[in-house]
Amino acid sequence: MDAHFKPEHYHRPTDLETASTLLTKGGARVIAGGTDLLVNGPADTESLVDINGLGLSYIREDDGLRIGTTTTFTNLLRSPLLERYPYRVIADAAGELGHHNLRHVATVGGNICNAVPSADAPVVLIALDAVVIIHGASGERTVSLDGFFKFVRETVMGEGEFLKEIVVPVQPEAGASFQKLGRTKVDIALVNAACRLSIVDGVISDSRIVLGAVYPTPLRVRATEDVLNGNEFTVGLAEKAAKVAADATKPISDHRASAGYRRDMSNVLVKRAIIEAYERAEGAR
Amino acid sequence: MRVTVNFKINGRDRIAHIEPRTSLLDVIREDLGLIGAKEGCGKGECGACTVIMNGDAVPSCLVLAAGVEGKEIITIEGIAENGRLHPLQEAFVRYHASQCGFCSPGMILTAKAFLDRNPSPSEAEVRDVMMSNLCRCTGYEKIIEAIMVVANGEVD
Repeated sequence: MDAHFKPEHYHRPTDLETASTLLTKGGARVIAGGTDLLVNGPADTESLVDINGLGLSYIREDDGLRIGTTTTFTNLLRSPLLERYPYRVIADAAGELGHHNLRHVATVGGNICNAVPSADAPVVLIALDAVVIIHGASGERTVSLDGFFKFVRETVMGEGEFLKEIVVPVQPEAGASFQKLGRTKVDIALVNAACRLSIVDGVISDSRIVLGAVYPTPLRVRATEDVLNGNEFTVGLAEKAAKVAADATKPISDHRASAGYRRDMSNVLVKRAIIEAYERAEGAR
Repeated sequence: MRVTVNFKINGRDRIAHIEPRTSLLDVIREDLGLIGAKEGCGKGECGACTVIMNGDAVPSCLVLAAGVEGKEIITIEGIAENGRLHPLQEAFVRYHASQCGFCSPGMILTAKAFLDRNPSPSEAEVRDVMMSNLCRCTGYEKIIEAIMVVANGEVD
């Protein structure tokens, strides 16, 4: 527990406008699951705005998949809407986050908004072309999740804004895969990767390659997508594409792994993700 | 600022008046005197503080007490019935699944919440779920054995 984290006030608004108003005050911070904030809570936090009373815990199908920000990872794992690919890959990633009991509390919105490079949900959701709806004092705006992150623990959200909903477009012809390498099964990712492939007449018509924990933000590698797009799948193509992805990473060395190891494993994970996404895209038809 | 919360713990209604930062674990131990839940790491990694909240086992050190309004909490003190140990407690005794005992309340509550939702799990599923809890004595085999005995209906 961080002894310097001592918010003076606690609010639990029941409507979005009140939440945004409360968040415009200096030192105000959103709390959802709390699994990050109660461990790394900043000392300058003066008030907590608990967004669990806003009715934003849901997963529904409505012109794509809509996931409320306070939906827990357990909610994702229990949802029948995530039983089939490509949406299923969201549940695959949810099942890899932390441990069983942590998933009962940790929220999807929290995993995104903390903007930690190793987070699992952003990687898989960017691969699915997710957008996020941000609520602020002057209304709502929609931004691509790919453009949401600015740096480690920095996002495009400003004062009074909070993430309300994640929207994943319909992609019936796509296959997707999520891969994660951790020091132990419950640890954060040393590297994680996601791939989404859309296949039309045997040719890769569209693709997404996203890596986590190897860059200050989730890293979408367009150069790898260019290698894949317009070609028929082969293992050789997957290998070539994975090499390009690994070259685009800028990992750090820390107590978990060296930069070189992270780069090597980026290569391995992206290759696996491409192959599995292809198999699932073929299986989807 | 003090926050007032109403919640149910082990079947009894309770009111707590707390500081915003107070964890559910601190309320349970300091205010209510229920000391079965322990603080180990304080980061949600070790599971010693596990309690059941609305049917799911959670690390109570990471649950803000201010947010538990209206919730139902169960601690290790609340699972015996009419003076009779819960089958998981009974199995932990019979199969020597407690060594120092520090992790046992958390282990038992994680297993209980899971078995309540999944009455006939495989051992692989149980092992995956029990990664939520660490045992410093490393007595994992006995713990898994005790849980599987209950899952297989061999202790009542």
